[in-house]
Amino acid sequence: MRKLIATGIAAASLLAGGAAYADFPNDGNITFVIPYSPGGGFDTIVRQFAPALEEALGSTVVPENISGAGGARGGQAVHRADPDGYTIGIYNIPGLTVNEVTGRDQGFALNEVTWIANLAVARYALAVNANSAVNSVEDLCASDVPPKFSDTGATSTASVTTRISMAILGCEIVDVTGYSGSSDAMVAVISGEVDATIKPISSLAKYLTDGGSGDMKLILTLTEGEAVPGVPSATDIGYPALAKFTLNRVIGGPPGIPADVVAKIEEGLRMAGESEAVTSWADGAGVQLGFMGAAETSAMMDDLATFYQEYKDLVGASE
Amino acid sequence: MGLDALLEAFLAVLNGGSLAYLVAGVLLGLTFGVIPGLGGTTALALLIPVTYTLDPLDAMYLAGGVMGATSFGGSISAILLNTPGTAPNAATTFDGYPLARQGKAGLAIGASATASAMGGLIGLFTLLLFIPIAREVVLSFGSSEFLLLTILGLAAIAVSVRGKLLRGLVAACVGLLLAFTGANQFTGDTRFTGGIDYLWDGIPLVPALTGLFAISQMIELALKGGSVAEDTDRQSALKMKISGVGEGIVAVFRHWPVLLRGSVIGTVIGAVPGLGGTVAAFLSYSSTAQTAKDSHTFGTGNIKGVIAPEAANNAKDGGSLIPTVAFGIPGSAETAIFLAILVLHGMEPGPAILLYNEREIYGLIVALTASAVGASVVGLMFSRVLILITRIDVNIIVPVVVTLSLTGVYVLEGRMADVLLTVAMGVLGYLMIRFDYPRLTLVIAFVLGETAERSLHQVRLISDGHVLEYMLSRPVSVILIIATLVTFMLPSLRRLRDIGRSRQIR
Repeated sequence: MRKLIATGIAAASLLAGGAAYADFPNDGNITFVIPYSPGGGFDTIVRQFAPALEEALGSTVVPENISGAGGARGGQAVHRADPDGYTIGIYNIPGLTVNEVTGRDQGFALNEVTWIANLAVARYALAVNANSAVNSVEDLCASDVPPKFSDTGATSTASVTTRISMAILGCEIVDVTGYSGSSDAMVAVISGEVDATIKPISSLAKYLTDGGSGDMKLILTLTEGEAVPGVPSATDIGYPALAKFTLNRVIGGPPGIPADVVAKIEEGLRMAGESEAVTSWADGAGVQLGFMGAAETSAMMDDLATFYQEYKDLVGASE
Repeated sequence: MGLDALLEAFLAVLNGGSLAYLVAGVLLGLTFGVIPGLGGTTALALLIPVTYTLDPLDAMYLAGGVMGATSFGGSISAILLNTPGTAPNAATTFDGYPLARQGKAGLAIGASATASAMGGLIGLFTLLLFIPIAREVVLSFGSSEFLLLTILGLAAIAVSVRGKLLRGLVAACVGLLLAFTGANQFTGDTRFTGGIDYLWDGIPLVPALTGLFAISQMIELALKGGSVAEDTDRQSALKMKISGVGEGIVAVFRHWPVLLRGSVIGTVIGAVPGLGGTVAAFLSYSSTAQTAKDSHTFGTGNIKGVIAPEAANNAKDGGSLIPTVAFGIPGSAETAIFLAILVLHGMEPGPAILLYNEREIYGLIVALTASAVGASVVGLMFSRVLILITRIDVNIIVPVVVTLSLTGVYVLEGRMADVLLTVAMGVLGYLMIRFDYPRLTLVIAFVLGETAERSLHQVRLISDGHVLEYMLSRPVSVILIIATLVTFMLPSLRRLRDIGRSRQIR
């Protein structure tokens, strides 16, 4: 009997055809895949967006954590789902981009993903100990011994950013990886274990002399134009390419989601991003919301792939 | 700040609603603690969505209640079933289970409950003393200290093997092999993954330990049959146990140096990020067993072997809050999830949290303490019923424990592969029991291996290759080097002393 009903439903939906898509989301829950365990940056932003997205789309949004393999397992799960808009996910970008460039098989190809939107962008800055005599990139690189940087894993986005950007600046460094979290890596600068670290500005904020605990100071932001008052930017020192390094919160779905469904989710995410709940959370948590639509996000993803391909040799192992 | 805030927090907890959250947390923590495979980490992970709508302070009470109660809950299964309810209770099985088999489960549970409660209290006061210097404490532990701490932990393996040195070393090597599985933190390559992407992130701790301890013990019990307690004279055994609980409570106070040392070790290890309760409990056990006059009776049902790890286990909760709140670095798996709850409630972990979120932090400290004591009281009240577990036919216990622990492993991350890993580790664990290889040695190496490897790599880079000079220039490192040397030499020193004594007698 159940089989019969299922066949009936399948037949009905076939008959309905395009009409079924036109009234997306008509029924059921939208599964929002988070490729990490509860509590991290990816999890938090999805859970903050979910209620507002629910309201915008008029359909229940269920965040689901599928962690593992540096975000690849979550990506695979989305990739395997039906392209009906009822399964979307947040992607570890540019972490997955970097993995792909180094030739690691992640079980799916990023260029097949249906990109829907970009919710937030974090930008990087170069920080040193507040008591350090170093006040600029020249000071840092002038020493006889290559300056030491701290990072989590060698394939982490921050580590890749550190190695490529310092290479662009023509500065030889030692990147000490293996810290168990980015807070750990920043504390290594405070305790004097290493000389400097490149981390998202929002993460560094709580340790800065201006408005934070006063343990670290910024000597460069990897941005186009001034991002933090009084701190030179990548363009200021004549290396605009450094502004390419960002940490993105990108939303996508399985290959082949119909354009009208994409447009609806995109609009829902845009509205959610402008909602009072999300904006006030972002202000409090130091998250920089930066909405991009589907077309813009796709273009950015292609751009990123080309950019990291260029520095393929630096992206791999540190030693 | 300080005592005023603490008193205020104690008064606040008595306000109706808050107390309800605390009690709910304690009951949840006890339940999750007792069931092997489930633990504080799972309970907190499941609670994250629930705390969404709560007032931050109530969320602290709920989380604190869970964190404070799981370790005692876990000791109950460790004592009664030789199956640690949570990983840190593994050390409690050494002497707790032999006691239960001798019909003295009441004594062990009474001691465990009291040691947990007292450990929690002592840990709290140590934490209060630490708070003003929290910054210095955290900053003085760098890669060098991490490396030395892991070496100290690995050195302590020598104690746990109790004469089975070769077997202990084999097990430790297997543990290291498991620890090194997955992505290499400094080259980015993957090791020993055999093309299975599940292994990229390494072998997860909870499924591995659940398999090694819970599942393997259940296989052993199922094959052996009967019930846990050997004493079949039910009537006399019951009588002994009733007096046993009180004796257990008294034993803790009689062995107060053991309690004190356990609590201090727990607080200090808890404060070091990344080591956690398993190492704290084990170091406390091994240092007690090593320095005791009756060291040869450890492992055969010495009550001090229950007091030491349980005191450390509850004291570490207070300690692990130091790096968590001061720097946002979790001191244990539970605090890692707890950190997520803090962030959800708009509290940015960092040095500023002690200034701006005093109310919530002291609320949490009170909740941790109250739940450690509360869980013990609840546990003692039900201890007579709990002891009957050892009388139940294993044909009932085994399916229940296996089902619950496999479900618990699945619930944590929702991955079927975790369940398969648990079963595989269960078989490995059973083979180790069968052929008499120490499982705890494997676990210590497994837990410490990764930290040891990456801190060695870091120290080498940071010191520009001059590792030893660098270490000797750091005071905390020097202390740790001395402690490691003492650990290594103690057994030989004791043997020399014994020889000396026997000559004098002659």
